[in-house]
Amino acid sequence: MEVLREHEEEEEEEKQIFVISNELQDLEDKDPIVFLQTGLTHLNLTIEFDWSSIDTSQLPASYKTNSAKEQMLLQLADNFHRQYAHLCPDRQPLFLHPLNECGVEKFVSTTVRPTLQPYPELYNWDGCAQFVSDYLTMEPLSSPITPPSYLPSPTTTLKYQRGNCFGFSVLLCSLLIGAGYDAYCVNGYATREICMMDETREVCPLLEKSKKVLKEPVKEKVKKYAVKPPRDLRSKFELQQVAKKEADIEAAQKKKQKEEEERVMEAEKPKPDPLYGLRVHAWVLVLSGKREVPESFFIDPFTAHSYSTTDDHFLGIESIWNHKNYWVNVQDCWNGCKDLTFDLGDPVRWEFMLLGTDKPLLLLPEEEEEELDKEEEEKGFDMPSSWVDLIQISRKEFETRCPQGKKVIQYKNAKLEKWAPYLNSNGMVKRLTIYEDPECFRVLEVKDWFENREDMMNMRQLNKKTEVTTEYFSPGHIQGLKAHTYKTMEPETERTMEFYSETRVDGLQKRVENAKEMTEYFEGRSDFLHYRHTMFGRRIKRAQILLINTESNARPIVQIKEQFHRNPEKPADEDVAERIFMILEGRIMLTYHCKDDYITASKKEFIKQKDVDNKGNKIIMTSDMCISYQVGSCVKNKKLLHLYEMMLKLMEAEKQLKHQVWESETEVLEILKIREEEAAASKLTVSMYDTERNEKSKQQRETMERLMQEERQRQVEQDLDYLAPFLIQMGSTEKMSKWQALRLKEDCLNDFKHRLIDKANLIQARFEKETQELQKKQQWYQQNQLSMTLEDEDAYLMYCSDAMFCIRILEIRLNRHKEMAPQKYIELEEKLCKDPRLAEYLKFNV
Amino acid sequence: MSRLYDTIEPNVIDEKMLQKAVEEQGPQEELGQLAKREGIDYKDVIELQLDFRNILKIDNLWQFVNLTKLQLDNNIIEKIEALDSLVHLIWLDLSFNNIEVIEGLEALVQLQDLSLYNNRISKIENLDTLQELQVFSIGNNNLTALENVVYLRMFKNLRTLNLTGNPVCENEQYSLFIAAHLPDLVYLDFRLVDQNTRELAEIKYQYVIDELKQGEAQALAKLVEEQAKQKELGHHKAAYVEYLNGSFLFESMYAEDTEAARLAYLPGMADLLETYKSKFVLICENLFAYGLQQHEMRQAEVSTFFECLQEAVQDSQQQGTKIILDFESDNQGQLDVIQNMSNFEIAESKLIKYNEDISQLSDTLMTLEMQTVDQLEEIIKDFERNIADQVSTFIENVQGMMAQCRDLENHHHEKLMENAINTLEKIVKSEFDEEMPDDVRLLFVDKDTIVNAVNASHDIHLLKIDNREDDIITKANSWSSSVIEEVHKNEISRNRNRVREVNQYIDHLQEELDNMESLEQME
Repeated sequence: MEVLREHEEEEEEEKQIFVISNELQDLEDKDPIVFLQTGLTHLNLTIEFDWSSIDTSQLPASYKTNSAKEQMLLQLADNFHRQYAHLCPDRQPLFLHPLNECGVEKFVSTTVRPTLQPYPELYNWDGCAQFVSDYLTMEPLSSPITPPSYLPSPTTTLKYQRGNCFGFSVLLCSLLIGAGYDAYCVNGYATREICMMDETREVCPLLEKSKKVLKEPVKEKVKKYAVKPPRDLRSKFELQQVAKKEADIEAAQKKKQKEEEERVMEAEKPKPDPLYGLRVHAWVLVLSGKREVPESFFIDPFTAHSYSTTDDHFLGIESIWNHKNYWVNVQDCWNGCKDLTFDLGDPVRWEFMLLGTDKPLLLLPEEEEEELDKEEEEKGFDMPSSWVDLIQISRKEFETRCPQGKKVIQYKNAKLEKWAPYLNSNGMVKRLTIYEDPECFRVLEVKDWFENREDMMNMRQLNKKTEVTTEYFSPGHIQGLKAHTYKTMEPETERTMEFYSETRVDGLQKRVENAKEMTEYFEGRSDFLHYRHTMFGRRIKRAQILLINTESNARPIVQIKEQFHRNPEKPADEDVAERIFMILEGRIMLTYHCKDDYITASKKEFIKQKDVDNKGNKIIMTSDMCISYQVGSCVKNKKLLHLYEMMLKLMEAEKQLKHQVWESETEVLEILKIREEEAAASKLTVSMYDTERNEKSKQQRETMERLMQEERQRQVEQDLDYLAPFLIQMGSTEKMSKWQALRLKEDCLNDFKHRLIDKANLIQARFEKETQELQKKQQWYQQNQLSMTLEDEDAYLMYCSDAMFCIRILEIRLNRHKEMAPQKYIELEEKLCKDPRLAEYLKFNV
Repeated sequence: MSRLYDTIEPNVIDEKMLQKAVEEQGPQEELGQLAKREGIDYKDVIELQLDFRNILKIDNLWQFVNLTKLQLDNNIIEKIEALDSLVHLIWLDLSFNNIEVIEGLEALVQLQDLSLYNNRISKIENLDTLQELQVFSIGNNNLTALENVVYLRMFKNLRTLNLTGNPVCENEQYSLFIAAHLPDLVYLDFRLVDQNTRELAEIKYQYVIDELKQGEAQALAKLVEEQAKQKELGHHKAAYVEYLNGSFLFESMYAEDTEAARLAYLPGMADLLETYKSKFVLICENLFAYGLQQHEMRQAEVSTFFECLQEAVQDSQQQGTKIILDFESDNQGQLDVIQNMSNFEIAESKLIKYNEDISQLSDTLMTLEMQTVDQLEEIIKDFERNIADQVSTFIENVQGMMAQCRDLENHHHEKLMENAINTLEKIVKSEFDEEMPDDVRLLFVDKDTIVNAVNASHDIHLLKIDNREDDIITKANSWSSSVIEEVHKNEISRNRNRVREVNQYIDHLQEELDNMESLEQME
């Protein structure tokens, strides 16, 4: 390899001269477009999509031509390849400069176009990989054992949403480098499953159970004063025999199971692949270091799965490249990729093509030499910038994801379908069908995922065997519903409803129902209730079943049992742990919490009796109505008074409980009704920030704009149309005769005249009134002048000056009006004559 | 204060009055009938109203231990007394009486609402223990000194105060003064203390209040410090090494020793004493550290033991509970089934079976208890032994250290003796030319006197050391015996309780069964 490297260095020097000469040539030859023979026409394409037929006319010039620098790069690459072929004659030719979609040879590194996307989902490698694998349709290579001769740009790949493994890899690599990862495209060999994107032997990732971490049982330290266990008095021999027998049975079972497993494995084993180790594949390598990647790994762009670099599926690497350089693997791949190291700075393992653009070499001992070389390196040849346009993904394309918004993946015993959001009217985005058999005939379970549903349902699971449906809801359903498991929507059948207890006032967490009982679980209640169990009896048949929702027709309650947590504020033997209301038998049983240091709990049992005894006297309370067991005290029972009070309270509680049970039943009915309605409607919500889809806000915005427009127009019209009142009087303007027009004009003028006169009169009247008042005041002043105080006199003088001022103003206004009136009249007449609606008729009258 | 009812005979709280009041104010209607038939315990009464009864003297209320509200308004009470047993009282109304001095309320620590309206009180006092006080009404009294109100600062929860109708209200500064001195007060004389007043008051009395606050803070800090000290001392005492971390013991040796003070004037004594003291203190400190360490060890031992004991007891409890729960769930409704059975013979056999079950349950529980007792006995024995070992080691070591002290003392004594005799000789030979007080010089009249004095001093020192040693040893021994005794006592009482409980439970089951049998026979 050293030889090759030396060659390379010589090349570098030669290159310097070459660049200059090339530039000169460029100047001479203004049109350096080199038309290369398109190799696409004689490619044996087995796929339906014809890459040669794509429209290239819209693509920018950089796609169709090679710049001088690129030209030189190609020559360099050829040189490199010649040397490589010379040194390693038994290896496959390198994948260096395939044709692009315009039929131009392009160096692979320049095809990588690092672009950072504006979507947060595409900032991490898994999001990018998922996007690429979802968005593109996979095409197999035309020949499974040679790399393709063409490699379209990532923009074209995106545009037509299809590509082979190389197209996938280049696109993914561009996104990853854009997002800051140290990513490389890899050209190598992989197994058939990987190359053909055959996941039928893979377990669906959604079904993979998270591996349980078996916790080592922490051995408890034997304390100094731990008690010794009581002596075991059983026969040791017998125990041994039993254990032996059990072990035998277990071993037999295990053996059977193992055999079964082996059989299944055998059946599932793939057929041997005749092309094993020869199948060409391209994938992406992410090296550790940048973006806090702790360890290097592979990403298969078809499936978006990540693999460790030692995975069995990857059988060898020819070369890798990123946007800056190209490396050839000179390590032995007899053992797949297991023994490869990815220290690209190591020239013994990786032969680089361009010097100087390399990432910093990791070889520390040769540092001094490196420094000497540096000057040379600086003059080295840089990889030209990519000829590909920026990779742009619109919001809509990003959301649509899959081609035509739909994608189907076949897994082992399972099928996964994906849709773009809002594509299905019921909001379904994913469906996983799990089959019983590998041939996928008998459906075992169907799981549907939803998004943006108005009823907040996010997942539905249907078990075909048991016919049980489970619906899961996000927080925000009206009734705080979390999950609903049922067989039928019929009320009073088996069902389980789970709730978001923190959003409910009653803290209900779960309600399990069947025909005869209802169990409710609560959480976080201030009265410490956590469990209520109601047993129903048979409903007495009635003629009218119309009144389904009324309390009268509810199922008769046989027994209600409630359990409470310990209330730390009460002493234990006053804190009820459980109360059972046996409604039919008229008994109430209370069990209290256990006191500390005691093993039995206090109990009370009340027996309700009729209020009146056989003699007709009112019975209040007798001692045999209550049987009680008080722990730890030999004191006689509590007084009857307290017991009676307690019983009254319990009876009240019983009444309330009955009502609560009825309310629960009603609520179930209500939820069922709501669910049915919602299922029927299956409306989708649109985020208020989604300007594209939010029809309502769009409409609102549009109507608002329209309204404003109309309003403005109307105002303009109103300002202008002085003829409107007259036109209305006349009726329709369309059929106006000359006579009518004349009359309209007359009317209008008359009206205006009238108004002018009125105005004049008004001013006149005001003027006269003011004058009169002033005169009156003057008279009064003259009469009372002598008896007036100074203040009064001042007031009078003030008044006079004001009045005089008013009169003067009025006089001026009147005069001006008189002057202006004829002028205005004439103006109006002229205007009327010019009015487009009247002009026609009045033309000759002017 | 003159009253219209002065002519009426004053009353005393007696049985009849209480009975009547309780009945009137107790449950009514059906409950009342029941209550009357059974009689009401004074212990159960929570509220009591004794107003307009011309009571002169509070008495006979000691039975109402659970009372929370007591109204004694509109009487002619002159002295607050006999309320000490009503510790649960929250509300006390003594308005419209003839009380002159606030007293006798010390025991009512839970009191929140106190009314002394319309009395003859001239000073707010004797309320220090009522830290829960929220509402205090002392209007229409003879309070004259505004400064007296500052006393109310100690009630952190006081929100409502009524002082109207006191001579003190005539002071112009009255409301501002109160607003400034009681910043947490919300209502004064039935009115909200508004922000405006508060601000004004704050400005006006800023310096006074700051001073007050500083004083209070200082007092608090002092208290805290004192408590911390006490706590530490308590800790040392628990380790039996109190006052050993320093020269306390050494100083106490010399405190009662008059001879030593005189002997200190001997030449070279200062150096001698100094070295002696430093050595002695070193040993004391060693002893102190050792004591604390041993104390820690003992505590650790005890806590491990109690932890294990607790665990074992809990374990047995859980087992017991499980047995009982199993029994109950198995036999639930058994009696009902038997009762409703038509076939008499089967019913009879079932009854017998049930009876057997009960006795078997009793056996199981008792066996469990026996087993627990055995197990516990064993670990208690272990514990006893370990504690005894520990204490004896401790004592041995203490004795060793004390012996060191004694050696030091003996050594010192010899030196002193030598020195004294030398000095005596010098004096005798009149070679001694240093200054010496007369009473010291008196010692050196002859050999006997000086030897006696030195010996006396030595004896006193030894006695002190012996005493301290004895003290430690007795305390350690008594601690170990008391711990062991307590453990035994607890275990016995636990055992008794459990056995009684089991018996009671079995009796209860048996009784149920018997009741049914008797019912059947009746049928």
